[in-house]
Amino acid sequence: MFDTEREIIESKIRLCLDCGKCTVVCPVAQHDPEFNPRLIAQRRLSQNSHSPQDETIWQCISCYMCVERCNYYVKFPEFIHGLRAEALAEGAQLQCTHGGALQALQHMMAREDLLQDRLSWLPQDIELSEQSDTIFFVGCAPYFDIVFSDLEVNTLKGVEGALRLLNRAQIPFNILANERCCGRDLLLQGDREGFLALAKANMQEFARYGVKKIITNCPECHYTLKVDYPNVLGDTGIQVMHLTEVIAPLVQSGELSLGELEKRATYHDPCTLGRCSRIFDEPRQILRAVTGLDVVEMEQSREKALCCGASPWVYCGAVNRQIQDQRLTQATATGADILVTTCPKCQIHLRCAQKSRDGKIPQVEIQDLAFLAARSLDIGGESVG
Amino acid sequence: MNKSAIHLVVFACNWDGLSCIEEAARGGLTYPASVRVVRVSCLSRVHQGLMLKAFELGADGVMLLGCEPGNCQYDIDAGLVTREYEKARIVLGLLGLGKERLVLCHIPRGDGPGFVRRVTDFIKELEQVRPAIPARA
Ligand code: SF4
Repeated sequence: MFDTEREIIESKIRLCLDCGKCTVVCPVAQHDPEFNPRLIAQRRLSQNSHSPQDETIWQCISCYMCVERCNYYVKFPEFIHGLRAEALAEGAQLQCTHGGALQALQHMMAREDLLQDRLSWLPQDIELSEQSDTIFFVGCAPYFDIVFSDLEVNTLKGVEGALRLLNRAQIPFNILANERCCGRDLLLQGDREGFLALAKANMQEFARYGVKKIITNCPECHYTLKVDYPNVLGDTGIQVMHLTEVIAPLVQSGELSLGELEKRATYHDPCTLGRCSRIFDEPRQILRAVTGLDVVEMEQSREKALCCGASPWVYCGAVNRQIQDQRLTQATATGADILVTTCPKCQIHLRCAQKSRDGKIPQVEIQDLAFLAARSLDIGGESVG
Repeated sequence: MNKSAIHLVVFACNWDGLSCIEEAARGGLTYPASVRVVRVSCLSRVHQGLMLKAFELGADGVMLLGCEPGNCQYDIDAGLVTREYEKARIVLGLLGLGKERLVLCHIPRGDGPGFVRRVTDFIKELEQVRPAIPARA
C-alpha cells in the first residue's frame, strides 16, 4: 500500500533541476531563510549513509505553490510526506499543535467499534433521503467547533449552508452517523498507519450503506476521498464531488437562483481545492450569482493564492503566523467586508491569527462560501456570522 | 495493558490534589492498582489534548483532581481547566464514548479517605457504562 521509495520516485523529485524557483515562491522560505525545498531534496537524495534527521521537513505547509511553479511539476509536498513517514519510522516525535488534541481525536475515530453521537447539531428541517446512494460527507466540523471554541469559529454553519443549498436544489442525499475523519492530516504528517485505519473504517461505512456518490464541503475531505483513497486502496467505485461543482452549474444555468447581499467579498482559494483539485472557477461563479455582492480578488489569487499558513496540526510557529498576517492584510487591502473560503481549516487558522493579534490584525469577517450563499437566500441558519 | 480492569488516569495537582493521595498512602488506604496518578503543577496545565491522549492510550476514565475554589497556589483557580474539561467532555460525547468518563474533582486538602471514595465510586460508575475502551493496537 505504502512504499516510501516508490513514492519518492513518483514525486518526480529526481527530475529536480536545482533551479530554485520553488524557494522563490515558497511562502515558508520567504519568512524563514533556513527553509529551502531544493536543499531538502538535495540532502535526502545525496544521502549515502544514515544522515541525521532533517528538522526542516516539518515546516512545509503542503500548499503546493512550488508544484505550480516547477518546470517538471515535481510534487515536492508529496516527497515531504514520504520523508515524514520515514522520519516517524525512525522514531521522530511529532510536534503536535493544540496539545495533540486533533491527533488523539483522529486515532480514536479510527477504532472499529466506535459508535459516534455526532449529529445532534443537525437542524430538524434539513431533509435527508435515507434511501439515497449519495451522501454528504460532513467531515470534522462538529469536532472543530468544540476543540476550537475559544476561536469562536463556526465551521458547522458552512456544513448547514451546504445542506440547505442541496435541499433547495432538490438534490437528495443522506448523512452517515458514523463517518470518520477522512485522515488527510495524518497522511500529511506521515502517519500512514493512522491514515489507513481511518480510510478503511470509512470505506466499510460506505460499503454498508451502498454509497455511490459523495458530496463534500471540506476541500480536504474532497481530495482525500477522491484521490488519496483510490491511490492507497485501489479503485473505490465512488464518485466524489465538491459542493461548488454541484451548485455552480445549477447557478449558471439558472436552475438555482441565489439571493441578495449588499457586501464586498474576496475569495480565498484553499490550497487543496485550488492547486490540488483545480477548482478555481466554481466558487467564484457561485459568489457572482449573489445579487449585490461585490466580488474582488486579492493580490494573490487562484493558482497563486497564498496559503492560510498552516497545515496538518503539526509544527506551527512564527513563520506560520507571518503567512497568516500576510493573507489577512491582502484581504483587507481589497476593501472586502468578508473573506470567503470553503475550508474549515482555513477558517480556523486565519481566525487564530486574528484572535492572537488581539485586534492588531485586520478583522475582516471570515465566512464559509456555502454559508454565505445560503445566507443570501435567508436560509443560512439563525446566526448571521 | 490488562483490559479486564478499569483503567483510570488521575491528573493530580501538586498541592491539594496530591495531598489527598499522599494522605491516603500515609493512612494505608488502598485503591486498585489500575489507577495511575500523573502529577502536574496545576490543573490549568492539563489541556484537552492531554485528556484525550489518555483515552487514546486506553484509559477508561480520567479524573482531574485539583484544589478547591480559592485554594489555587497560582491564583488561576478552576477557570482554565474548566474550559478545557468542558471541551474534552463534549468531544467524548461526540465520539460516543460518553461524557461521564471524564470528571473534575475538588476534594478538601489532605482528605485521603475522600480521594479513595471518589476513585472507587468512579470505577464503579465506569463499570456500568459501555464496555471498557480497547487500547490502541
Ligand atoms: S508545498 Fe508550499 S510550503 Fe511546502 S515547499 Fe512547496 S511552496 Fe514551500
